[in-house]
Amino acid sequence: MAAKPIVTSKQREEVVRGVPTEVVCTAFSNSILVVVTQYGKMGTLVSVDPSTITSDISKPSLTTKVLLGTDEPLIHVCAKNLVTFVSQEAGNKPVLLAIALKDKSMEGIKALQELIRSCQVW
Amino acid sequence: MEPQQLAEAAGSSRHAPAGISLHDFCGQAGEQLVHFHAMRLRDSLFLWVGAEPALRSLAVAMCSPHDSIPVSTSLLGDASDATSNSLAQRLARKTKKQIFVSYNLQNTDSSFILHIENRIKEEMMAFPEKF
Repeated sequence: MAAKPIVTSKQREEVVRGVPTEVVCTAFSNSILVVVTQYGKMGTLVSVDPSTITSDISKPSLTTKVLLGTDEPLIHVCAKNLVTFVSQEAGNKPVLLAIALKDKSMEGIKALQELIRSCQVW
Repeated sequence: MEPQQLAEAAGSSRHAPAGISLHDFCGQAGEQLVHFHAMRLRDSLFLWVGAEPALRSLAVAMCSPHDSIPVSTSLLGDASDATSNSLAQRLARKTKKQIFVSYNLQNTDSSFILHIENRIKEEMMAFPEKF
């Protein structure tokens, strides 16, 4: 049966600081799925949730939780840096992030942010 | 997607088989129109199943050298609902890939799920490059 997609996805493939990188963003009604991969795989799965208990409603703090993969501090830092703006711009929706990165430098992360922005589905 | 676009997409996937490919399809299960969203990655597959565009559960399964039944775990949502889990296990056994499944339908009858599974397998047969 032919399908009119019920969920919206955008996809980009680019070489970021010498590393071939793929980004896929998919908008669900209750969350955004962001896949950022330099290995072609899902890698580490991180749930990024805007917490509701906050003094400033407009800028809620984000809680990161590793659902699958190595739970190391750098993953949480990368996750927050990569998708905080996605959650905020989507109206404080939770983001499910799949990351498999070769380059975790600050410059790399900044470039990846732009790549994610170019796949805006929220 | 128009047939021509489909053909182009299939053509481009032949040139770059390593890239992530997205594939949407749907099917009728009983009274219900069910939507599917597949994302093929390297040696793995993400498959979302639902009637409305929400992501409420997620499970992952992969084959194990120690057991004929693929190992699986629930990553998101109600851990007592094993539907995503068991569907991921069955697809992992069939494809030998790491499979992520998000099953978001109320109906979890085994006959209904079998119907869903058959629809997925039918699409896998028709568009193997998408899975």
